[in-house]
Amino acid sequence: MPVSNATAWGQLPDGRPLHRWTLRNARGEQVDISDLGATLLSWQTPDRFGRLGDVVLGHADAQQYIASNAYMGAVVGRWANRIRGGRFRLDGIDYKVDRNDGGNHLHGGHDGFHLQRWEVEPEADGLVLRLVSPEGDGGFPGEVHVQLRVRLEDDGTLDLRYEATSDAPTPLSLTAHPYFNLNDRRPDIRDHVIRIDADEFLAIDAGAIPVGRQHVSGTAFDFREPAPIGSRLHWPDPQLRLVGGFDHCYLPRGPAGGVVRTVAVVTEPSSGRRLTIDTDRPGLQFYSGQKLTGQAGRQGDTYGPFAGFALEAQAFPDQVNGPEADGAILRPGNVWRQHTRYRVDTP
Amino acid sequence: MTPHRIALLFNANKVYDRQVIAGIGHYLNSTRVEWDLFMEEDFRSRMRDIQQFRGDGVIADFDDPEAPDALRDLHIPVVAVGGSYHDPASYPIGIPYIATDNARLVRLAYDHLIEQGLARFAFYGIPPHPGSRWAQEREHAFRAIVDDEAVEAVVYDGASTSAGGWGEAVEELVAWLAALPKPIGIIAVTDARARQLLQACVIGEFAVPEQIAIVGIDNDPMAQLLTRIPLTSVIQGAEEMGRTAAHLLHQMLRGVDCSGTRVLVPPVGINVQVSSRYQPVRSPHVMRASHYIRQYGCLGIKTEQVADYVGVSRTVLEEHFKRELKQTVHQVILKHKLDTACDLIANSDTPLADIALRCGFTSLQYMYTVFRREYDCTPRQYLDLHRKPMAT
Repeated sequence: MPVSNATAWGQLPDGRPLHRWTLRNARGEQVDISDLGATLLSWQTPDRFGRLGDVVLGHADAQQYIASNAYMGAVVGRWANRIRGGRFRLDGIDYKVDRNDGGNHLHGGHDGFHLQRWEVEPEADGLVLRLVSPEGDGGFPGEVHVQLRVRLEDDGTLDLRYEATSDAPTPLSLTAHPYFNLNDRRPDIRDHVIRIDADEFLAIDAGAIPVGRQHVSGTAFDFREPAPIGSRLHWPDPQLRLVGGFDHCYLPRGPAGGVVRTVAVVTEPSSGRRLTIDTDRPGLQFYSGQKLTGQAGRQGDTYGPFAGFALEAQAFPDQVNGPEADGAILRPGNVWRQHTRYRVDTP
Repeated sequence: MTPHRIALLFNANKVYDRQVIAGIGHYLNSTRVEWDLFMEEDFRSRMRDIQQFRGDGVIADFDDPEAPDALRDLHIPVVAVGGSYHDPASYPIGIPYIATDNARLVRLAYDHLIEQGLARFAFYGIPPHPGSRWAQEREHAFRAIVDDEAVEAVVYDGASTSAGGWGEAVEELVAWLAALPKPIGIIAVTDARARQLLQACVIGEFAVPEQIAIVGIDNDPMAQLLTRIPLTSVIQGAEEMGRTAAHLLHQMLRGVDCSGTRVLVPPVGINVQVSSRYQPVRSPHVMRASHYIRQYGCLGIKTEQVADYVGVSRTVLEEHFKRELKQTVHQVILKHKLDTACDLIANSDTPLADIALRCGFTSLQYMYTVFRREYDCTPRQYLDLHRKPMAT
């Protein structure tokens, strides 16, 4: 059986029990997922010597996940990333949503999807996770039904297919938020070599809200040729200084919406592991993990800055307040879909 | 606007310098920045002449000990490229410095050997010389790691390479290798030095990697070409250094003050080959035989020749192979030929007929037969699946 039965895994503050499930593939890789926030707790993959190690960061127990503000491994929603001032206008109505990030909205607000208990149904080759987000959740309109189908394939791909419907128009953008570190023996991702297939990224203001598109040419953001993350952090670039590293949304090449294409590849020289991300989303947030300081690790350890990095496939930050706002709205009668694939292998 | 006149002062006779320059080229192409590049026609820098340069900026190799003095009185933006130093006081003052991170290069090689299960280590450097302070930095990094982790380790700088003293130097190197406890993992300061190690291992009949596992630095295709046993090597981030240097000079030409900027570029990979694929083998017969097969496996050798080399009968050798490797000697020779063929198919543009010949198959047809039997595909199909587009 590739999917094991549920194992008890702590409880919510209201006493409801939480669980974790394990997916396995033919190569002995193993993925652990919790119903708390549809969180990817652990992903064990072989390094170039065939030794299994965890490629994602994690906390020690459910209580730490609930107390943390790192969104570690969780699926975030209803709105992944930020909304300026926590305000937007939709069909002539002004909405105010949770402001939980210095006056801006971030990742669904105070009780985002990452803190909800999802319903989990094991399938032959994966899991189906479901969540109902009630009308007014975090200040958003409409009751939203979300379904996420997770499969671990034999080539080392973690395949994520999302679907959502709503009974009223609402902004919607979901993303998985794992922090990767492909070298489980070194809690620092600055030697990782990253390629991002994007000619443009969104420049931000001090509140990390996009202010406009910028071409990557001649900047520290140009990863069209692979480059180590760490040395780029020392390039004199005001966009890097604003947030102490990378926390920016790229606009990967290729058609967005419906067409899955490779958007980023990360390699780690010591372990020999490679991470490839394919998605149909228009945006790819790259966060270099500079603010992970003090986050609790799995073994009673504490993470430092740059312990992991995140690559989040999503809509554009604050898209609801920009010229492409329509593209970020889910309307009744429509089904919102997203397809993202993370693959870890050793070339 | 007239393009800026920029001098590139490098001795581009090594793969590292060429990659730095390629990185500068990539940056210029990606930004459409127009620079009028000045380089000597033989791509070698002549530091003393630079005082006459009437241009707008310089990117220079600061591993060249003449560079700091030669460029001191030049009142135009200068970006330095070179090796990292463990002592911050060793960096030039007031000049942006882009470094290959020597400590991380050595750490990657060391971690690789540790991961292979080795417990003893050595470093093969070069004698101190003003033009190669980076080599001393790598040696220092190695000493720091082994001191810190309290592991058994030795360092040997050998002799400088000169045609006259070469015979003696090799003898000394073989003697050093002979005296080392084995198995051992050796980090060579460069691929050129690693190649000499491999040569000495052949002369001294030390099995690589069973007795001596070797990792070089540079991933130099020339060193690969000249060694029978493919060499594992750490890949420096030299292109990224070039991009970074070009970016900083670009910023300085726009008036940005980068004088305090120091960027250390870590290695971007390690090319893992046979020279470091250490697997504990107990039978000395198997060890010696494997060593022989790795050197001559593609020259049409048969089990008998391997047994002759090892100095035991075919039957005894087969027994040892069966016990240790669960394979016959013939199977191991065939596997070596197939591995070599697959590597050439995927990583070169050599025609299949030549590959068949080079790997010791009696004919192209025979290679087809073996591929079909072992891989259930033809070499052509394998090529279509695996051959990488050649770098341009």
